[in-house]
Amino acid sequence: MSDEKWTVTFIIHRQKGPDSQPHFDEFTIEIHPEEFVLDGVEYIWAYKDRSLVFRHACHHTTCGACGMRVNGVEKLACMTKIADVTQDGGKIKLEPLRNFPIVGDLVVDLGPLYRKMHEVHAPEVIPLCASPWEGEGIKPPQETPKREDGEEYIRLPDCIECGLCVSACPTAASDAEYLGPAVLAAIHIQGIDENPDLLALADSREGVWRCHSAYECSAVCPSNVDPAWRIMDLRKQIIARRLKFKK
Amino acid sequence: MQDATAVPKAGENVWLWLTKIISGLIVFVVLTIHLIVNHYVAPEGLFYYDDVINYFKNPLIPIMEGTFLVFVVIHSSLGLRSIILDRNPTQKVMRVVDTVFVVGGLAVIVYGIWLLVYVAGLG
Amino acid sequence: MLSREQQGLNWLLQWFDPRGRSIGGLAFILNRITALGLVLYLYLHLYYLRQLTMGPQVWNAFIDSAENSPWIGIGELFVIAGGLIHGLNGLRIALNSFNIAVPYQKQLFYGLFTLALIGIAFFAVHMFGA
Ligand code: HEM
Ligand code: SF4
Repeated sequence: MSDEKWTVTFIIHRQKGPDSQPHFDEFTIEIHPEEFVLDGVEYIWAYKDRSLVFRHACHHTTCGACGMRVNGVEKLACMTKIADVTQDGGKIKLEPLRNFPIVGDLVVDLGPLYRKMHEVHAPEVIPLCASPWEGEGIKPPQETPKREDGEEYIRLPDCIECGLCVSACPTAASDAEYLGPAVLAAIHIQGIDENPDLLALADSREGVWRCHSAYECSAVCPSNVDPAWRIMDLRKQIIARRLKFKK
Repeated sequence: MQDATAVPKAGENVWLWLTKIISGLIVFVVLTIHLIVNHYVAPEGLFYYDDVINYFKNPLIPIMEGTFLVFVVIHSSLGLRSIILDRNPTQKVMRVVDTVFVVGGLAVIVYGIWLLVYVAGLG
Repeated sequence: MLSREQQGLNWLLQWFDPRGRSIGGLAFILNRITALGLVLYLYLHLYYLRQLTMGPQVWNAFIDSAENSPWIGIGELFVIAGGLIHGLNGLRIALNSFNIAVPYQKQLFYGLFTLALIGIAFFAVHMFGA
């Protein structure tokens, strides 16, 4: 890896609050191509403009706080490499997520997503048997190891509630009440057979039938949730239940 | 994004979706048949009055066109309705929309079938 | 509180703006535009067919005027293109809705869209060729 830095111009969306006029500020900095977009943002905040509003915590894709649009596409800034989104002398445009109320600059209010996740009692941990094997697409593991006491192992669910999927979804843009990819995925992972209330919600006006198969959610999801696949699988399950192929 | 409604809203469900998909598939099948039949019955195209009247002499033709009409109206109305639902209208607006689609759709189908019977009767 | 996208007409941009969209998003845009075009055509078509009831002179004069205008031919090709793109993509959406071939939705789109392009080329040659 060479030590040579790139000159990159960050074009950053600025907006002091939900009701003020947005504009763009440009910051040209030297940055290593193997660094990440979030590193650039932090550098700008530290050395160029201390009033820049952005959010992050973990720096390694577990917290889901640094979601933003990089050159028009939803990304976690912490794992988006400079070299993957621009070139030496190039530009990077940063905008806040869409379809959420703006707090300021690059930060949106993800509250509506959290409250919807709460509404469908999205679990904090899930049994291992309900989780997909990494890298094989969304399939339950063939064999789930058992604990010595006979209980099941549990793990954190894949969804980090970052909101990228909601920002990328064209339906969420026009229907604020649409449950949306992450919430429907949370319904799917819990199972509609075990949860008749979730079945009713998924088969309602703001449920799976609002999806128009743009598959943008799965294209941007940073965390192996594949919400579009889960929405389609929910459809299949609901059709089978309602047609009584499966009780 | 806004908070979820705890109570599931009526207005869209598996039956409407299945109707939309199945009517779309029927439209697809009938349209394919239509293209093939036209190719054999009227290889030069179907334009002038006498050609059209002749074409409709075969009783299968008005049946085919009528089937197409019914299902394409159902499919496109459900399609437009779902685009409107994507704007999250109030239930009150949706009641008006639904009435317009049902009454309007029926009127179009009645008009279309009247036209088919009329033209078939000319032969 | 609504987001910026949900205010005014910004949502329209997010429905139809192809920038930054993946294949699935582009398919959605195409599907929606062709659907709206086909609906417009369907009702115009039904309206003009009314002239069949007015006797041969009226109808044949209507056909003649249509034949003389290059726009009608181009419009017809647009309808055929719309029908092929929307109909074939509709098969993809229908299959996907039963969770069939969702991981292959991109390949499915490429295949069906190629088929639509071949169909459009075929009709273009058929209609405008010597
Ligand atoms: C040729 C066979 C056709 C098939 C297989 C088909 C299939 C479909 C499918 C699966 C959808 C659902 C898209 C979604 O909600 O994501 C759809 C939507 C729609 N279709 Fe069709 N369709 C066909 C023909 C037509 C025709 C001829 C018209 C108009 C006259 C039409 C009008 C619509 C409308 C307005 C929508 C809503 C579009 C949207 O939600 O963005 N379709 N079609
Ligand atoms: S489903 Fe994926 S993109 Fe959506 S909130 Fe969860 S982790 Fe983020």
